[in-house]
Amino acid sequence: MLDKIKQQIERLKGLGATYVDTRWYPFEEGNYLMMWNGNLKSTTSARESGVGIRVLYKGAWGFSASSDLSDLAALYDKAFDNARVAAERVTFPVRLAEKDAIQAKFESPCTIDPFTVPLADKVAFLKDLDEQLNQAGVFQRVCDMTFVRKQIVFVDSEGSEIEKLITEAFSTMQVSGLDDQGVTYERSFRPARQGNSRGWETLDRKLFGENAARIVKEMNQVRAADECPKEDRSVILLPNIMYLQTHETIGHALELDRILGYELAYAGGSFVTLEDFGKLRYGSSKLTARADATLPNSPGSFGFDDDGVPAQNTVLIDKGILVGAITGRQMVEEANAKAKRQIFKGSGGANRATSFYRVPIERMTNINIDAGQDGTLDDIVKNTERGIVLDSERSWSIGSNREQFHFGTEIGWLVEDGKITKVVKNPTYKGATVKFWNSLSAVGDQSTWQVKYVDNCGKGQPNQVMQLGHGVPVCRFDNVRIGE
Amino acid sequence: MKERILQTLKDLRKYALDKGYEVTLFYHEEDSYLMRFANSSISLNTNEHLIRLDITAYSGSKRASYELITDLGKLDEMKRGIDTAAEMVLHAQPLTYQPTVPVFAKSFADESGYDAALAQISNEERLKYFNTAAAGLETGAIQLSGIFSCGMNVIAQINTRSEHTQYFKTSDAQVTTVLAHSTLKWEVIAEQSARKLSDLDPSALREELAFLVQHYQTDTPQQIPLGSYDIVFGSAATAEMLGFMNWIAFNGGSVKRGFSFLSEDKVGKKVFSDKFTLVDDPDRLETFPFKSDFTGITRQLFPLFQKGVFQGFTWFQDDADEFGAKATGHTVGHKSLVLNGGEQKDINSLPDLVNLPRQKDILYIPFLHYMNIVNPSKGILTGSSRFGALLLKKDGSVAIPYNVRLTQSLLDIFGDKVAWLSQATVPYNTSQSYGARNPTAIIVPKFLCVNDLDISLSNSSY
Repeated sequence: MLDKIKQQIERLKGLGATYVDTRWYPFEEGNYLMMWNGNLKSTTSARESGVGIRVLYKGAWGFSASSDLSDLAALYDKAFDNARVAAERVTFPVRLAEKDAIQAKFESPCTIDPFTVPLADKVAFLKDLDEQLNQAGVFQRVCDMTFVRKQIVFVDSEGSEIEKLITEAFSTMQVSGLDDQGVTYERSFRPARQGNSRGWETLDRKLFGENAARIVKEMNQVRAADECPKEDRSVILLPNIMYLQTHETIGHALELDRILGYELAYAGGSFVTLEDFGKLRYGSSKLTARADATLPNSPGSFGFDDDGVPAQNTVLIDKGILVGAITGRQMVEEANAKAKRQIFKGSGGANRATSFYRVPIERMTNINIDAGQDGTLDDIVKNTERGIVLDSERSWSIGSNREQFHFGTEIGWLVEDGKITKVVKNPTYKGATVKFWNSLSAVGDQSTWQVKYVDNCGKGQPNQVMQLGHGVPVCRFDNVRIGE
Repeated sequence: MKERILQTLKDLRKYALDKGYEVTLFYHEEDSYLMRFANSSISLNTNEHLIRLDITAYSGSKRASYELITDLGKLDEMKRGIDTAAEMVLHAQPLTYQPTVPVFAKSFADESGYDAALAQISNEERLKYFNTAAAGLETGAIQLSGIFSCGMNVIAQINTRSEHTQYFKTSDAQVTTVLAHSTLKWEVIAEQSARKLSDLDPSALREELAFLVQHYQTDTPQQIPLGSYDIVFGSAATAEMLGFMNWIAFNGGSVKRGFSFLSEDKVGKKVFSDKFTLVDDPDRLETFPFKSDFTGITRQLFPLFQKGVFQGFTWFQDDADEFGAKATGHTVGHKSLVLNGGEQKDINSLPDLVNLPRQKDILYIPFLHYMNIVNPSKGILTGSSRFGALLLKKDGSVAIPYNVRLTQSLLDIFGDKVAWLSQATVPYNTSQSYGARNPTAIIVPKFLCVNDLDISLSNSSY
């Protein structure tokens, strides 16, 4: 198969293609189980394989994909023809940043392949969890697990040949209950990444059990709690909401294709402009953020991106100043040309596609906030006069240029004079992105730092979801509007 | 091709029967094309051809599924998939209810939604469409983005309980054209949905875009004060809100699970404005309807709200099985929602709206971005305006508002504050391409006016 792919790539080069690459997925397996109120509602396995071909011709991209490989030449011809037509409307010809031709292999760390674990064991895990969640006050209880394993062979016209084997395991649980008005409140648990691997071994039964008891208790507290007040307070974000704050208002805002206007028809743009790099005070001096695709236990690490560029650890915001972006080969060239200066020294290795039948686009890797010097959660609370501790997203909505946001969380704990006083229900907070990050007044130390995953980040047209991660500490932001 | 698909399913059914399995086989094939524009270039021109087979095996009250992306030439692979599903189900846990495996009384086929001319529209024709829609409107600073998504999909199914089959074939197109200023960052949009080639009308898009661009180039942009406004929602915003109601309103399973703002005692009660009549109407071809649901129930007009009075819940089969309800023919890829037009017959276009005499400022919001559910039990959603909002001032002038955020309950939005709905309606295409091709559209009034809604955040720039 590899020889056939290389032959076709050479053939298209002969037709005038500037660049051709192919991602061949010999297999991608999935497994999803979901138990809802004791019913195993979903027991699903999936398998797919196929080829996705990208062609660059006269500065324009064409793409074609299929699981039917019986006529490979026709598939490559379609991709070429798509590029040929696209080339009729080019205002800025696509150029790709330089990269080395690489022959390499990458395997995500995995001790126990989840696809070797008997289905009966997986069902037993969920059943056990379900029983632990079935407590007084719980109206609905859901627990699930998702496993993915895929082999990707990347070949391009520049001489790269990269083989990747990626394994992922995700699991969550949630309970909900009703208050005396019949309004539903939820409490969920999404574990932080443990250890240095990404297989079945990351599903820690004991950890889930401990947290099952906790979320039931907290959900019952929320049901009986007072409403979150509508006022300005300091918000202390625990990692289970801090990751999403980072995702939505740093990660997406700094995708270079968004900044350059490539997502305007769907996901939106960014308030960031090319002139901002090196200048914009994105956040307070306590904020250092990075795109780190080398974190071993997180889905935003993949060895080499789908342009064939090695994974990197890139600073995005350095002590509050915007210095970097989430980048791929095409966008760095365009950005530097449009800015008439070299903002980016090369691709940041962040182009990925969700499957063989989608084209690679710039995606977050692991967008992390460096741990700070402001101690533990207790330390931060003690140093807060009037605040609220928030945990776990319930709703999230962001402006089209990522310039403002509204988040709802599952639970809030009010803080008065350095002490947690009471639980409140329906906590929400909103703000303007740059003002918010500049109000960052405390960053927890390494003991508060957790790596959270996202398994469903949506973007692009045709639409695709991506798995990635966020390593984040506890953080406090001042003068934030809550409760609306 | 239809015969080959159905014969393949019959062969697989025989294989399952010979092995003593009980299975359902759900086949989905798509031929999808998407031409994407950004910065006035074609940023991507793509196509994919995919065949998916979903196999669900049953054993008593146990159920397990195996899904594969395959092709019709790989019969052995599909058979192995059936074996895998049959093996998995042995280890599944029994459900607390008996899941229904439908018995199709007769075979059903519907190709009325397929237009070959649309399904096979060429690259060149797609490009020509866009060039026409944006003709003369692009400048160095004002650049074109958008998509022309089109294709065809086939759904077919069979199960071991009956030799009868179901077969649906549809073509569709979804067009989005955006003009955006590269430095000022304003954006305007015009969109179109098509179920046949003759539905495509690039001139109509151009007219809308030209109108908005002219205002965005000449009218004063401003941050508008927080507070209460009479808001006219465009078709995109209205359709988006109605789409959420699939999950937090009239879905029977959502009610039972505590995620709906409706309840059983609301049936027969007035919940919304008496101007609000919402139905599920599979005769409306613009919604890419299913005339039969996937359990063989013939779909018919299903009233959801009649003049604001809630008529009843929809139940798809699995939820009906679980909660002991009667399935309502809603085991489908999507409903065919229609929000009836109103009495306002003088407002059929944006110019009509802008020229409307008004006693107070009116905020026109065509599109709500990144809408999400804040509280399902109370029907509270939040979202930001985007793509061509206008502030129609009471003195007759027009200003351009920077984007605002609304956080409101659907009970308020569609409640007694509804002032008027335009008589004119339009199908708004709500298709997404995260999964298998599943074209959807909701028919909504072109304009819907709601009085006294608060905006909770007002941007200070674009």
